[in-house]
Amino acid sequence: MSNFTTECYQNEYLPLGVSEVNAIVTVTSDGAPGQAEQPEAAEIVIIDTSGSMGTPRRKINAARQATKVAIDCIRDGVAFGVIAGTDVARTVYPTHSTLAIAAPKTRSEAKRALDRLDASGGTAIGSWLTLAGALFATVPGRTCHAILLTDGENQHETDEHLDGVLAEVEGRFQCDCRGVGTDWMVSELRRIAAALLGSVDIIAEPEAMADDFHALMQAAMGKATRNVSLRLWTPQGATVAFVRQVAPAIEELTGRGVQVNPLTADYPTATWGRESRDYHVCINVPPREVGDEMLAARVSLVEGEEPRAQALIKAIWTDDRRLSTHINREVAHYTGQAELADCIQQGLEARKEGDLASATFKLGRAVQLATESGNEGTMKLLQAVVQVDDAATGTVRLKHEITPLDEMSLDTRSTATVRVGSAAT
Amino acid sequence: MSTEDLNLTTRTDLSCPSCGAPLQPGDRFCERCGARLDEPKEADGDLRVELDLGTAAAVSDQGLVHHRNEDSFHLEAADARNVTVVVCDGISSASAGNVAARDAARAAGAVLSRAMADPGNDPRDAIVEAIKAAVEAVIQVEWTTRVKRVDPSCTLVSAVCRNGEITVGWVGDSRAYWFDADDARQLTIDDSFAEEGIAKGLLTPEQAAKSPFLHSITHWVGPDAPERPPRLVELRPERPGRLVLCTDGLWNYAPSARELGVLIDALPPRAAPAAVARSLADMANDRGGHDNITVAVVDIEPSPA
Repeated sequence: MSNFTTECYQNEYLPLGVSEVNAIVTVTSDGAPGQAEQPEAAEIVIIDTSGSMGTPRRKINAARQATKVAIDCIRDGVAFGVIAGTDVARTVYPTHSTLAIAAPKTRSEAKRALDRLDASGGTAIGSWLTLAGALFATVPGRTCHAILLTDGENQHETDEHLDGVLAEVEGRFQCDCRGVGTDWMVSELRRIAAALLGSVDIIAEPEAMADDFHALMQAAMGKATRNVSLRLWTPQGATVAFVRQVAPAIEELTGRGVQVNPLTADYPTATWGRESRDYHVCINVPPREVGDEMLAARVSLVEGEEPRAQALIKAIWTDDRRLSTHINREVAHYTGQAELADCIQQGLEARKEGDLASATFKLGRAVQLATESGNEGTMKLLQAVVQVDDAATGTVRLKHEITPLDEMSLDTRSTATVRVGSAAT
Repeated sequence: MSTEDLNLTTRTDLSCPSCGAPLQPGDRFCERCGARLDEPKEADGDLRVELDLGTAAAVSDQGLVHHRNEDSFHLEAADARNVTVVVCDGISSASAGNVAARDAARAAGAVLSRAMADPGNDPRDAIVEAIKAAVEAVIQVEWTTRVKRVDPSCTLVSAVCRNGEITVGWVGDSRAYWFDADDARQLTIDDSFAEEGIAKGLLTPEQAAKSPFLHSITHWVGPDAPERPPRLVELRPERPGRLVLCTDGLWNYAPSARELGVLIDALPPRAAPAAVARSLADMANDRGGHDNITVAVVDIEPSPA
């Protein structure tokens, strides 16, 4: 059984009359599988086989190859399947309407089935997810995860239909989304990945797909827990301003809470391997008197109904300014990282709409924030889009020629954060 | 989902002093309103601590606003003419400031007491050593918080009175005053932004008294304290008089030596140190008691030399 540990970073001292309590909670899981208790997993690879995947041919070839690599990572006993998606969805493997159990024999069968895969037809991602949901439903009790690959926009479905599907399958499986090339929509895949608690990324060249799928499936196989919830207790009279994952990437959880009782809600965090994630919790509590201390929130990690670890977020009101005026370093850092992601997304949006003044301002601010926090990955992506005149003040010029790849890479990876102390000082 | 899930209907004799919700034994916080439970709002110690050693006395009072006394003192008299005193004001977290002040006073007091047993020791060295020991003691105080910049810490003013000669050393804004028939003066200069502003000519004393930074101190006893030695002052009185050490809970209500002197002069001429200390603490409470109040008074007879 995996062990969870938590650390809480906050300045619990509040000036009189202030009600907002902020804390960063770091949650670490050792990923220990425990005695033969590896949770039963189920994996589905969903490949876009629409017509565009065949032009050039190497795209469908690479997808086929990458899926084979992923299948080879699946350990014995895991339920698995492959879906080919066009304007309809069909199972490539197994051929009956359930999942196969991984073993040398089934893995080779699946790989042979992939060789017959070809590209033709449209794109209706909702139908792919519906089929995945149905297949996962045939293996109840398993922890379900999918990899979805597409190269284009969701043309053959309305947004409303996709939203309906997402609401339907949400919580039933986790889905990492990958867009290959530059003809897909970042906002669309981000919406799917966010709803299904997965990552989203761009694969520039089809040949890079195999490595990416390998890493994704390895990570999936390293998951040592069932679905884990972040359980948040807040006192009567308190309101949750927001709950978001802030590392390794920003994931908004605020609207995702499921009420357990009037004072407690569960926020989904899916499965955990050997990893560490940071959460920013912001609570408003009724202010109290000088010297009063209260529990503003209790954060626990709950696997099934088992509490695994907890952290306490406190509030103490003081009239000593030496205590109440400084902002906790971690809170300040992640507030900056969240602003960084917002600035990039808003800046790119403004640029698309031709509002170059706003775009320059927002992307300039992003450059400034990325520099301050030592977020070199994001800084590099920003430099492909803007000419940096002075990083410290955020003085930039928009580049005239921006490749779609640079723009989409920046957009997709805008939510990646770095931890405190990354800045070279 | 129902209110039963909340566990609030469990029968128990314990209830939250803040909202009345039932509690389980061992709860540290109320499960309904979040109020802290293991530290009752009412004082768990005495509202006032007094020590009367005849020629020296000290009073430490919780005041009327704070829920706990975060001041502390150490007072010791080898005989009527050899007295050591330490007064500390905890300036840290609600739960550790009191421990910091207590441990600092205790540690500094022990060093002074040992050092003064040997007449060959220089009181100035003894005070510097005592304050070092106080810092060491405060470093040991357990943090009750994860906030790394907020270490338990306190102010400290101490005095060694030996055969009519007085040596005072301090860090922070707890003060020492001297009063005799002709004189009323403050012996210490606060380690505070206000005093530094006055010293640099940036503020007039009147402006400083009104400054929001009056209480922002620039030196304290604690692990994160600035590295500089405590300030020292020596006095060899020519007339009998009184040495008064106190925390800002007192001097806030009578900041100048003259104002304090007027209060002391209003007492019967031969009032004992205990009576003076008590009456000054009462005055602070009468005027609002917004902070903990600690005051130590030592009667001094001039050195015969």
